[in-house]
Amino acid sequence: MTSAAAYMLYLVFALGGVGLYLLLPKAGVRQTFAGAIIGLLAVVGLILVLATQIIGPGSSAGFFYLFAVVAVLAAARVITHPKPVYSAVYFVLVVVAVTALLVLMNAEFLAVALLIIYAGAILVTYLFVIMLAQQSGSPVYDRRSREPFWAVLAGFVLMAAVAGRAGDLPPSVADASESATATAQSDQPGNTSAIGAIIMTKHIVALEVAGVLLLISMIGALAMVRKELPVETLEPPPKPLGQIGREVQPF
Amino acid sequence: MFGATEYLVLGSILFALGLVGFLTRRNLIVIFLSTEVMFQGVVINAVAFARHHEHLEGQSFALFLLVIAAVEAGLALGMVVMLYRRKGTLDAEAWSLMRG
Repeated sequence: MTSAAAYMLYLVFALGGVGLYLLLPKAGVRQTFAGAIIGLLAVVGLILVLATQIIGPGSSAGFFYLFAVVAVLAAARVITHPKPVYSAVYFVLVVVAVTALLVLMNAEFLAVALLIIYAGAILVTYLFVIMLAQQSGSPVYDRRSREPFWAVLAGFVLMAAVAGRAGDLPPSVADASESATATAQSDQPGNTSAIGAIIMTKHIVALEVAGVLLLISMIGALAMVRKELPVETLEPPPKPLGQIGREVQPF
Repeated sequence: MFGATEYLVLGSILFALGLVGFLTRRNLIVIFLSTEVMFQGVVINAVAFARHHEHLEGQSFALFLLVIAAVEAGLALGMVVMLYRRKGTLDAEAWSLMRG
């Protein structure tokens, strides 16, 4: 990536940051319309910079643009929508778009796993908790965000630092034999069995550790939620002193 | 040539959006949804590097990332339920006792 492309990318990020700042829920009048217009301008600018400076003209990358725009817009809606239920539903849209991008990158197994685990399991859990803890109306902590300006600035600095270096990728480090076997594996038996082979041979210890981690987190979540809280303790009324121990059956 | 740079840019955008949401929102559930958006950016980055280096390490790493995301979601939501039962609100500011 040339430095001109990097500066154009920074400009687009700054524009998107201004739009995001206007869109975040704030006290007083929300400039939602202006924020949406500026945000859409930033997305169009991002497409232009990617098309002219990074990908290069003439290459057919229509699906990448489509799903990238869907992912970015849905992610912006996740963090700006004042209602948590809609945030969760927009997050499903992010997951679907990312899944499509993974398919474009020839990661079919990971794409399907992401769709099943995220959209199928994690998001349902989130929706359950949102329904469980829903408060009537729209509470004030959903309508005011905390320090939107400094947060957007921090996000801009992070994004510029990461994306500004994204063009200077080192050449591929795969040595010839390994990449040959990898491509052969991914060509012949398909992506799923190639990943299965590499996980069951090279990363078998990590796989076991991941299983133990899931078990530990399940036990931890159960122990945490089962803990009795002061409001919910239902103690039996204390008995008079003479009756203690009278009801115990001899065994 | 359709390389990895544009995927890395997209991953950084998703990560930064999640970071902004994590810092600004006050609803505990939306805070954890923002961390999931950050996870999506990281998954895109891992798979893009896997394709750039032409082997499957990045994809298997992203698979373990999914495990971590599931663990994090389960524990975080358990914690949110516990905090909600204790104070009756999802506001993160209700727990700012240690802020000076």
